[in-house]
Amino acid sequence: MSFFGFGQSAEIDIVLNDAETKKKVEHKTEDGKKDKYFLFYDGETVSGKVNVTLKNPGKRFEHQGIKIEFIGQIELYYDRGNHHEFVSLVKDLARPGELTQSQTFDFEFTHVEKPYESYTGQNVKLRYFLRATISRRLNDITKEMDIVVHTLSTYPELNSSIKMEVGIEDCLHIEFEYNKSKYHLKDVIVGKIYFLLVRIKIKHMEIDIIKRETTGTGPNVYHENDTIAKYEIMDGAPVRGESIPIRLFLAGYEMTPTMRDINKKFSVRYYLNLVLIDEEERRYFKQQEITLWRKGDIVRKSMSHQAAIASQRFEGSATAEKALAQAKEDSN
Amino acid sequence: MPATQQSMQDDQEKLLDEAVQAVKVQSFQMKRCLDKNKLMDALKHASNTLGELRTSMLSPKSYYELYMAISDELHYLEIYLTDEFAKGRKVADLYELVQYAGNIIPRLYLLITVGVVYVKSFSQSRRDILKDLVEMCRGVQHPLRGLFLRNYLLQCTRNVLPDDGEVTEEGTTGDINDSVDFVLLNFAEMNKLWVRMQHQGHSRDREKREKERQELRILVGTNLVRLSQLEGVNVDKYTQVVLPGILDQAVNCRDSLAQEYLMECIIQVFPDEFHLQTLNSFLRACAELHQNVNVKNIIIALIDRLALFAHREDGPGIPADIKLFDVFSQQVASVIQSRQEMPSEDVVSLQVSLINLAMKCYPDRIDYVDKVLETTLEIFNKMNLEHMATSSAVSKELMRLLKIPVDIYNNILTVLQLQHFHPLFEYFDYESRKIMSSYMLGNTLDNNTVIKAQEQVDAVLKLVSTLIQDQPDQPSEDPDPEDFAEEQNLVGRFIHMLHSEDPDQQYMILNTARKHFGAGGNQRIRFTLPPLVFAAYQLAFRYKESSSVDEKWEKKCQKIFSFAHQTISALIKAELAELPLRLFLQGALAAGEIGFENHETVAYEFMSQAFSLYEDEISDSKAQLSAITLIIGTFERSKCFSEENHEPLRTQCALAASKLLKKADQCRAVGTCAQLFWSGRSSDKNGEEIQDEKRVMECLKKALKIANQCMDSSLQVQLFIEILNRYIYFHEKQNEAVTVQVLNQLIQKVQDDLPNLEACEEAELIKKHFHNTLEHLRVRKESSEADGAAYDGLLL
Repeated sequence: MSFFGFGQSAEIDIVLNDAETKKKVEHKTEDGKKDKYFLFYDGETVSGKVNVTLKNPGKRFEHQGIKIEFIGQIELYYDRGNHHEFVSLVKDLARPGELTQSQTFDFEFTHVEKPYESYTGQNVKLRYFLRATISRRLNDITKEMDIVVHTLSTYPELNSSIKMEVGIEDCLHIEFEYNKSKYHLKDVIVGKIYFLLVRIKIKHMEIDIIKRETTGTGPNVYHENDTIAKYEIMDGAPVRGESIPIRLFLAGYEMTPTMRDINKKFSVRYYLNLVLIDEEERRYFKQQEITLWRKGDIVRKSMSHQAAIASQRFEGSATAEKALAQAKEDSN
Repeated sequence: MPATQQSMQDDQEKLLDEAVQAVKVQSFQMKRCLDKNKLMDALKHASNTLGELRTSMLSPKSYYELYMAISDELHYLEIYLTDEFAKGRKVADLYELVQYAGNIIPRLYLLITVGVVYVKSFSQSRRDILKDLVEMCRGVQHPLRGLFLRNYLLQCTRNVLPDDGEVTEEGTTGDINDSVDFVLLNFAEMNKLWVRMQHQGHSRDREKREKERQELRILVGTNLVRLSQLEGVNVDKYTQVVLPGILDQAVNCRDSLAQEYLMECIIQVFPDEFHLQTLNSFLRACAELHQNVNVKNIIIALIDRLALFAHREDGPGIPADIKLFDVFSQQVASVIQSRQEMPSEDVVSLQVSLINLAMKCYPDRIDYVDKVLETTLEIFNKMNLEHMATSSAVSKELMRLLKIPVDIYNNILTVLQLQHFHPLFEYFDYESRKIMSSYMLGNTLDNNTVIKAQEQVDAVLKLVSTLIQDQPDQPSEDPDPEDFAEEQNLVGRFIHMLHSEDPDQQYMILNTARKHFGAGGNQRIRFTLPPLVFAAYQLAFRYKESSSVDEKWEKKCQKIFSFAHQTISALIKAELAELPLRLFLQGALAAGEIGFENHETVAYEFMSQAFSLYEDEISDSKAQLSAITLIIGTFERSKCFSEENHEPLRTQCALAASKLLKKADQCRAVGTCAQLFWSGRSSDKNGEEIQDEKRVMECLKKALKIANQCMDSSLQVQLFIEILNRYIYFHEKQNEAVTVQVLNQLIQKVQDDLPNLEACEEAELIKKHFHNTLEHLRVRKESSEADGAAYDGLLL
């Protein structure tokens, strides 16, 4: 990087220590493209080398110091100028001086705290990156390397089902039940819907997964809703007493763990929206928030085991079904 | 309307055509992707193909065609995947992957397709997957789409359902119970969808909807077929799980169309051995069906099937521990009880099939048949039915019911053992009773059923009394004479079936019959009493035959003749003359021939009765002539009269003959009388012929004299020729008084008169008669040596 065509210039290259074996994951960038990045977890040491390569070997290279930073920051798109860094670690690699040849510097950020998950949203981005800087009098030479952080959660201790009775008086009365309230990202939602009273001509029923990204605070709160999935679960008009199974695999959709009030800057929440559409295209719906979390990788299983997972159904604890069954018996 | 119908049809064709085209394009793409091993793309095209089945625009028929086209394509996919899996190229999470399809119809079709591949390839997952498929299909609640989806499920799984006796790999899951649960659940859901169709759309389309439902019923029925094909569904499983499951659905769906079909389906699909073990529960369910259901047809179908089964030669028959008849009898009764609105003809139809059952399965149990009749009777009593019109359905059914024992037993005596036959009979109106009575008599005659006992005679005649006596409810106008005659002739023929080997019994039979027929009224007795009289004469002859063993035979004969006398007198009272006259004459002959003590008195009485009938009652000249001819003839045959009686009778005959009105009649009758004086016999001369030459000649001369008085010349010639023939007869019999001269004279007379006759057909006949007479004489003359008569001097 030479401005005047003379003098010495250098290039920086950051190489992670276990780059050969380190797992990479896809991550969406702001422009919507997907790239592969090294994957890190909270508390994991980030170590590697910074290679400074001189363009003109043999010539001296003066600098004001070489450092490497580990930064986690939140960028709000409406406030481009301000980056909120929630992690910022610095390691000096070399005191101001001269380099006479290309040189490699080892670095290590031990047990780095990475509290949040990398995220690229509609209005906000949370990113982690390494930045190597060679300070110079006129212009610094820098190099950044993005990494992706996944926040793993442990299995939630309390994970009750979501059960609710909703309806419109004398018109439609249903009870639905989802087997859990917290799902990991490769989980499957199973549930059931009981029709207790049906006096409208339902055409079909679907479950939508809605992502709601909330940014800003106070009066400047911004909501961005995004329908991640539209999933038809019933075709035609049921009658009283029917129970319709729900089974929705999450792995196929691009989702992140639920993020609540990340650094007081933003939230990403997920909702299941149960929608009934009648013959006049009227929509009746009920939203329920679910919590998504990230679980460690699933071990590969045999085909029949896969099938067993893929065919799981929610047998239901709903009281409605029992009540209906009882009612049926009584009427006979 | 036809125009819109046509356009609707065109629309359907167009829509179907478009859909099928889309299917072709997408499935072609699918196959190309499969060839290139691009499974995910192939699945996407498969899903697109299946998207066509989401339509609501197609009629059931068009939808079916589309479904068939698509299921062919899916079959290709299934085979591909099965092959791939067999080669070890397993696609991880395939069962999960297909579930990402956003629309439920394509998703579930794919799930089934892939599911079956899993079941085939990884038998450990069989139980889970089958259960999953049938449960997940609940998502389709649209009747038409749901029915076809579940039909697809049923079709795809038909070869992979767990069953007894199958050969499986280790670790295979699922047993017969899973299969039964699977099919039963699928059946229940399909039935619900099918029933639901009825309640969708406008009520004005009801008929169309029912028609469409009828077209789709086979889809529901296939479930039952599948159950019946499972080896593991044995009698026990059927009794304990399968049938209760089906019946539960059938009864609780409260849809008459479904109930009717399902019940019939059960009967047809499952083997007879199963039905035999589940009669009670099946029939109990019948009682609970919708009022609109034609339960009758269902029960009849079952009965007919079992009756056939019982009858089958290679079959095991009805197990002894199953009281088939009792069960049916009770259950049918409770079905009827539970269905107050059931038309009475249907009630009777049920009894018809019960009787058929009893007849076919228990041919010896007359009591069963009677039990059915009793039940029917009780029902009628409760319904307070009066005489049922012949045209009414219930009357027709009752006739069907009552004809069965008649037809099967082919013996009216067996029918008589049915205590409740006759009371039921009384529910018919006049017309039906008549038809039925004729039917029974016809049957008796066809089968030559001999009725041997007085009580039986009494019972039969009471039963068919409609034909025998006037009825309070008979129509006031007279019946068609021909029909009436035919009917009464039948009764007359029937009398000959009343026959006991024991003469005394026979006598009682006749007396009983006489009592019944005697009350028949003037129109009937002319048909019914004569056979009875003849039967009496016949009986008298039988007594004579048994004279050596029966000391009292003569007394009995006398009684019989007074019976006959009485009977004939009844006919006289009915203002009949010729018939009783003939019967008297017949009686006189019979009495004479039998020759019991007092027979002459009897014969004389009968003859004199005939005479007085002749004198008092017969006025028509033609009838008089034929009557007197008969009397003369009968008298001529009688040998029983002493001279004391013979003389007045023959004189009376001659007198009566000469008193006839017309000369020609007189002439002929007097001529006939001549016979009496020749070949008549009286007992005094040991039965020798009288051969009173003088009196014979007197008669003939008198006849000639009368003929001379005849004005009609052709008639006169005819009479002359007839008299000539009489002369010739007596000449041949060697009556000395008849000489050749007499003959010549008469011949000459005729020859003189003949040419004067006007040429006509009649004249020709007369000439021919004369010619034949002369020809006869010529022959006799030529062979005159053969007999004693002399022909010398005969001029021909």
